[in-house]
Amino acid sequence: MVFFSILRRFWRGLCTNWIGTAGVVLTTSAIVLFVLAELLRMVGIITNTYVGLITYLSLPALFLLGLMLIPVGWWLHRRRTGKSTGELLSERFEAELVAAGPGGSRVFRIIVVLTLINVLFLGLGGARMLGFMDQPSFCGTACHSVMNPEWVTFQNSPHARVRCVDCHVGQGARAAFDAKLNGMWQMISVTFDLYERPIPTPVHNLRPARETCEKCHWPQKFYGNRLKRIVRHADDQASTPRYTTLSLKVGSGSGRQRGEIHWHVAGHNEVRYQPADRTRMAMRWVEVRQPDGRYRRFVNRRAPSQSSATSVPDVDVRVMDCVDCHNRATHIYEDPQDVVERRLEDGAIDRRLPFARRQALAALTGSYRPGTGTRAIALDFRGYYRRHHPQVATAHGREIDRAVRTLQAAYRRNIHERMNIGWNAYPDHIGHRRGPGCRRCHDSNMQDRQGRSISDECTLCHSILAYDSAAPFQFLQPPDPRDRECRMGLYLRREFLGAGAAADPDACKPGR
Amino acid sequence: MKRYLAASLLLLAPLVVTGDQAPVAGRCMTCHKDKTPGLYRQWFLSEHAKHDVTCLDCHGADKGDKDGFQHEGALIATLVTPADCGQCHDAQAKEVDRSYHATAGQILESADAYLAHAPGGEPVAIPGCESCHGGKVRLDPKSPNRLDRKSWPNSGIGRINPDGSKGSCTACHSRHQFSKGQARRPEACGKCHLGPDHPQKEVYEESKHGNAFFTHVHQMNLDADRWVAGVDYAAAPTCATCHMSASPQQKVTHDVGQRISWTLRPPVSKMKPDWQQKRARMKGVCATCHGARFVDGHYFQMDGLVQLYNRKFAEPAGRIMALVRKRGLLKNKAEFGNKIEWTYWELWHHEGRRARHGAAMMGPDYTWWHGIYEVVQHFYFKFIPEARAYGDPQVNKLIDEVLKDPMHAWLQRPTEEIKRDIRSGKLQQLYRDFYRPAR
Repeated sequence: MVFFSILRRFWRGLCTNWIGTAGVVLTTSAIVLFVLAELLRMVGIITNTYVGLITYLSLPALFLLGLMLIPVGWWLHRRRTGKSTGELLSERFEAELVAAGPGGSRVFRIIVVLTLINVLFLGLGGARMLGFMDQPSFCGTACHSVMNPEWVTFQNSPHARVRCVDCHVGQGARAAFDAKLNGMWQMISVTFDLYERPIPTPVHNLRPARETCEKCHWPQKFYGNRLKRIVRHADDQASTPRYTTLSLKVGSGSGRQRGEIHWHVAGHNEVRYQPADRTRMAMRWVEVRQPDGRYRRFVNRRAPSQSSATSVPDVDVRVMDCVDCHNRATHIYEDPQDVVERRLEDGAIDRRLPFARRQALAALTGSYRPGTGTRAIALDFRGYYRRHHPQVATAHGREIDRAVRTLQAAYRRNIHERMNIGWNAYPDHIGHRRGPGCRRCHDSNMQDRQGRSISDECTLCHSILAYDSAAPFQFLQPPDPRDRECRMGLYLRREFLGAGAAADPDACKPGR
Repeated sequence: MKRYLAASLLLLAPLVVTGDQAPVAGRCMTCHKDKTPGLYRQWFLSEHAKHDVTCLDCHGADKGDKDGFQHEGALIATLVTPADCGQCHDAQAKEVDRSYHATAGQILESADAYLAHAPGGEPVAIPGCESCHGGKVRLDPKSPNRLDRKSWPNSGIGRINPDGSKGSCTACHSRHQFSKGQARRPEACGKCHLGPDHPQKEVYEESKHGNAFFTHVHQMNLDADRWVAGVDYAAAPTCATCHMSASPQQKVTHDVGQRISWTLRPPVSKMKPDWQQKRARMKGVCATCHGARFVDGHYFQMDGLVQLYNRKFAEPAGRIMALVRKRGLLKNKAEFGNKIEWTYWELWHHEGRRARHGAAMMGPDYTWWHGIYEVVQHFYFKFIPEARAYGDPQVNKLIDEVLKDPMHAWLQRPTEEIKRDIRSGKLQQLYRDFYRPAR
C-alpha cells in the first residue's frame, strides 16, 4: 500500500504543470495501447496493416515524446517555484524516502526502475518496429497509392515469397540505416507530393545483384537449355494458335564456350558498359574482359559521336549484372497482347467464342476514362457478342462472363491510373520483344576496332524449334521440300539436333 | 519407330553444339524473318521462294568480289546486279544490257545532269536524277556493306555496277517479291516516265488505253506466267504490252525501244535507225486489237503532229538559238546562264515533248493544251521577243525570214481572212505533206 501511495505522489510530482501532465498521459496511454494492440494481434483479432502502422510506428513515437515532456515540465516547475530539486522532493516525500541509502534514495531507486521499464519497452517496441518495417506488407501498403502498382505486381510475381527488403535493403546496419534515411525522404515526397508518376525504375540505387539475386540464383546453377513456347493467336474467328518454340541456351558457358546466356555473369567473366544516358536504353560502348585482363571494347557506331564529348551526359560505367537483363524479375507488368495470348492458351478466355482474341485485345486496350476501365471492358466484350453473335451470347454466357472477369483482373493488375501507369509503362529488358533488351548490345552497330560486331544472330542465344508455325515442334521433323521455308527448317533442325541430323543439301530442291 | 528412337537419342546428345558454320540460306532466313519481316514476307510470296531460290543464290559473293563482305559466316554482297540475275535469267539480262534503258546512267553526262549539278547541286543529283537514270555505284571499304552511301541505295534503270554490268532489275521488279505483275502495270514505268518533261504516265492515264486498264484491271491476268496480249488478256494494253510484252506475232523482249520508230526525245524528232522494222513491230502489237486501217490512221495522225512540231517550231527555234550563240550574244558564259536558254530548253524539252508524247499515245489534252498550245505561245511571245531583244541585225534578219514562212504569216493577216482560209481548207493545205515520216 505504501508503494502505491508513493507511486501516486510520484505521479502527482510529475504532473506539476500541463506539460508534465501531457507527458504522463502520452506515455501511459501509448504503453497501454501498445500492450493491448500486441495482445489483440497475438490472439489474432487484429490483422490490418494500418493498425501495425499505428502500433509500431506511432505509439513508440508518442511514448518517446511523452517521456521527453516530463523532464521539461519538471524543469519549468522548478524555475517557476525557484526551489532546488532537493527542496521540491522534500515537500512531497517523507524524509526517509528522500534520505540517502545504499544505491541512492528510495525515490531515486523508483526512478531507476521506471526508467528501466521505459528502456525495455522502447527496445522491444523498436525491435518490433524494425521487424514490422521489414514485412512486405509494410512496404506495399504503408504508402498505399504510391506503392500499390509495385505491390500488386510483386504479389503476382515469382518472388512473391521473398521480402522486399531482401532485395531492396540488403544486409547489415549500414544498409538498414541507408534504407531508413531513404524512407524518410520518401515520406516527405509523399506528404508534399513531390514524386513522379509513374515512379521511375530505381535502377541506380538497387542493391548489387551479387549480394541479393545471387543468394538464391548463382551463375553455376544455370546449365542446359530451357524450352519456351510462345503462342500467338490469329485474329480470325477461331483465334487459331501459331507457335514459336525456343530452346533458350541459358547455361553459364565456360571458357571459350560463350554462346550461352548466363556467360555474361559466370565465373570470372566481366562485361562492363557505359550507357548513353541514365535510362540505360542504349549503350555508348561495351567492354569484355579478355583472359589477359585487358578489355576489348565495342563502340556503338550509331551513338552520338564522341567528338561532342562535352555534351555527353555524366553516366557511370557499370559492370553488368543480373538486373541489366532481368530488370523486371519481380514487378512484372504484362503486355496486353501477352495477357490475351496466355489466357487464350490456358482457356480462361475460351477460343470457342468467335474472334475471341481480337475482341479480348480490343476490350483490354481500349482507352477508358479513369475509374471506368473494368466496367467498360465488360460492356465492350459482352456487347460485341450480344450484338454480333446473339446465339453465342446465349449459349456461351458463362464463357463470356469468365473471359470478362479474366480481362478485368488483368486490367486491375496492370493499369494504375493514379500513378499514370498504362500498358507497357516500363521497358522489359528480358529478350528483345518488349524493348531493345539484348539488342542494346547485340547489335551489328556495336563494333570493335577491327570492325567486328557483337553477334546478333538468332541462334546464338536460342535454338528455334518452331517459328510462327501451326505445329509447336515444327523443325524437329525433316523439312518438306514443298515448304517455301524448307531451307530454314533444314538449318534450324541441324542447329538444334547437332551434326548428327543428316543434312541433305538437296532436301529442299523442288520436285523432290 | 526407329526414326523416332534415333531422334530421341539425338535429343539426348550434348545440346550445345557449335552450329553448322557452312554458309546456308536457312541461317539468313532465321534472323531476317524477324529483323526484316517485310523483306522476308515479300520473298516468301515470290516465285523465287516457290522455286527454292534463297538468299545466297543472289547475295552470295565470290572471293575477290569488290563489294563482298563477311556477314554471319557468309561472304555476301548487298548489291545484286543484272549479271547476278542473269545467272538464271540469261536472255533477259542480255536484252537489258543492249537496251536503251541500260544506257540511262551514261546519259547523265548530258544537259540533264549539268542542270542538276550546276544550277542545282549534288544533293539533288543523287535522289533526283540518279534515282531514275541510275548512278555509278561506288565502293567504300569503310562502309559495313562496302557501298558508298552517296551511290547506294540506287535502283535507277541504267545503274553502273561495280561488276561492269549495266542497269538494275529492281527498277521495275521491286525487291524482294520481283513480281512480273508489278512490271506489267503502268505504275512501274510511271516512277520515272512522268512529269513536265515527259508525261508518258499522265498521257497514258488520259488515253483510252489507260481508261480501259484502270476500269478492267481485274481482267488483266497480271500475275500470269504467260502474258500474251489478246490471248491471256485483252481488256487493255499497258506500257509493257506495247513496248515489251508478247503478242501473238512476237515474243517478249526486255530491250525496250525495239518497237519505237520516232525518237521524240531530242529538240527535233528523228526517225530511228531501222524505223520501218520497228514500226512494223509496234503495228504488230496494235493489230492484236485494231484493224490495219485503224493502225495506219493512228500513225498518219501522229506523224503529222511530229512534223508540225519539227518544221514549224523546233527547226526555226533551233536555228535562231544557234545563231544567238554563234554571234556571242549570250551575256553569261555558262550554259543555262541566260534566260533565253531556259525558254528554248522548255520549248523543246518540256512543251514540245509533251505534244509529241501526247500524239504518240492518244492523249489529246497533252497534245494540245499542255503541248503545242504552249509551244506556240512561248515561241511567238517569249522566245522570239527575247531573241529580238539583242538587237542583232543578223538574228533579226533570220527571225524575219522565219516569220515570212506561210505557216507563220498568219500573224500579219486580218482574222476574218484567216478564218475564211480555214473554212475553205486553204490554210490546211500548208501542212499536207506533214503526214508521213521523213528523216
